[in-house]
Amino acid sequence: MSAVFDVISPRIRPRPKPRLLNGVIPFVVLLAGLAIAPLMLTPYSTVMLMPALAFGIALLGMNLLFGYTGLLSFGNAMFLAVGAYVAAAATQAGVLHFELILIAAASLGGLFALAIGALCVRFTHIFFGMLTLAFGMLLHSFLFKFYNLTGGDQGMRVLRPMLLGQDWDMTATQFLSGPFYYYCLIVYVLLGLLTWRIVSSPLGLQLRAIRDNESKARYLGVRVYRLRLFAFVVSGVFGAIAGAMLGVSTGLADPELAYWPQSGNLIFMMILGGAGTFVGPGVGALIFVLLHEVLVSSTAYWRFMLGATLVFLVLVLPEGLIGTISNHLQRRVRGDAQ
Amino acid sequence: MLNVSELTVDIQGSRILRGISLEVRAGELVCLLGRNGAGKTTTFRSLMGYLRPVSGRISWEDKDLARLSTWQIAQLGIGFSPEESEVYADLTVEENIELPTWTRTCGRPAAERISEAYRIFPKLERYRKRGGAELSGGERKMVSIARALALDAELLLLDEPFEGLSPAIIPLVAEGVAAIRQSGKAIVMAESNLHHVPDYIDKLVVIERGEIIYTGSLSGALGDVEVMKIIAGAVDAEPQT
Repeated sequence: MSAVFDVISPRIRPRPKPRLLNGVIPFVVLLAGLAIAPLMLTPYSTVMLMPALAFGIALLGMNLLFGYTGLLSFGNAMFLAVGAYVAAAATQAGVLHFELILIAAASLGGLFALAIGALCVRFTHIFFGMLTLAFGMLLHSFLFKFYNLTGGDQGMRVLRPMLLGQDWDMTATQFLSGPFYYYCLIVYVLLGLLTWRIVSSPLGLQLRAIRDNESKARYLGVRVYRLRLFAFVVSGVFGAIAGAMLGVSTGLADPELAYWPQSGNLIFMMILGGAGTFVGPGVGALIFVLLHEVLVSSTAYWRFMLGATLVFLVLVLPEGLIGTISNHLQRRVRGDAQ
Repeated sequence: MLNVSELTVDIQGSRILRGISLEVRAGELVCLLGRNGAGKTTTFRSLMGYLRPVSGRISWEDKDLARLSTWQIAQLGIGFSPEESEVYADLTVEENIELPTWTRTCGRPAAERISEAYRIFPKLERYRKRGGAELSGGERKMVSIARALALDAELLLLDEPFEGLSPAIIPLVAEGVAAIRQSGKAIVMAESNLHHVPDYIDKLVVIERGEIIYTGSLSGALGDVEVMKIIAGAVDAEPQT
């Protein structure tokens, strides 16, 4: 896998798992923090956190694909767009039950990933990354150009859905910072537990074997193609679910969701938190969203600042925040033991 | 059990194997001896489906291996321990050995296969929780063989199992190979060093420039001046009287 990582940096690659901070407990702590956040924040600030939940869900799948299986996709934002447009089409067609919208988004995202992945996962290294980027750009072009179907650059409106069969009679901010926030948090918890189940199972063991050395995995009977496709489909399903949530929170399905910088943002978040650690990408999503909000509101050069942060990360914290803290703690524990 | 007939393999347009034939019966220990570049690893990689033959036939219990993918061949019960024997650095010794029990679920129960691997390489028992990156070269070699064994393999392909090991470790690995053989599994072992060839092998196959030049007993090869010239240099030759 070295070639694709070396394109970004020879130091960014899935690392051997740090023993500390890599269990499900740090993830539970993250979710607990997200659960109590609305109690301490204003409704407006809570709404600002919504993308962190959605990106966190997308990154659960993307981390399975990159951190555990070793495939770095440059086009996973396309699944966000699939989910958002499903939410838009469904709500405009009168299907307002958010449970049905999530099922439809997950199904279409999964089918989309299956069709694209069947070709893409035959390749590795930079070729996989470029193919996913190409498919992402194809979808972006489709959404942008087919105005009658997708609304073109205007996108499609996503109407407020019903949650658990209830039509919540409140303002948009109250809805998003209250019932919808907690609804998405519960979905995040469920998908997080599902992902944890996958990575800690024999399936996860085989995915890590593929990531570390696919030839040897084949010698040991691992069905490399099938498992890569599985990881890609999971990333597509989770991405589409996240996209449906993003669509509802912004009220819009926008072709920019499929644009390549959005995929770059997802990679940024994953690296920021620490790819290959279970909780890292979720932490990365949260910090990215907060950092983005702070920088956008304080300087016109926020893109420059985000870029500088990425450079800093690559040079100083190549294993991301969680990976670095975990390794530091590991060294201290070892030092104490000796 | 395993029958290789007139196997010819090219790599990037160069002919590496030139019609080699080989037969391995159940429980047999066959040593494939040859100099570096003779074609030993290419033979193994072809048997494992990693390289497709230009011509010839590889059959395993009447199945044509040349048509199968590597993972399918592994799941038939052919374990391969490559020369570099890299273990998965991210996985513990325990996870490395456990892995094939999940990919090949037929055969004996996983617990039995895993305990057999530890019985054959008892040193690994102490390192169960140790990461693959923290192992020495000899320990990695043991894990690599134990992992192939945990596939519940009926045939093990061991590519230079003693290569690069310290003299202190070689006997431990050799004991493991002997124990595997005693358990009734067939083994094909590639070696480039005549001194590493165990004296209890059933058959010696000497390969040179992609061709089999000798098939027979070890003692027979030791008495063959022409063969000895190739595998050990003329100095070590012991002409038969």
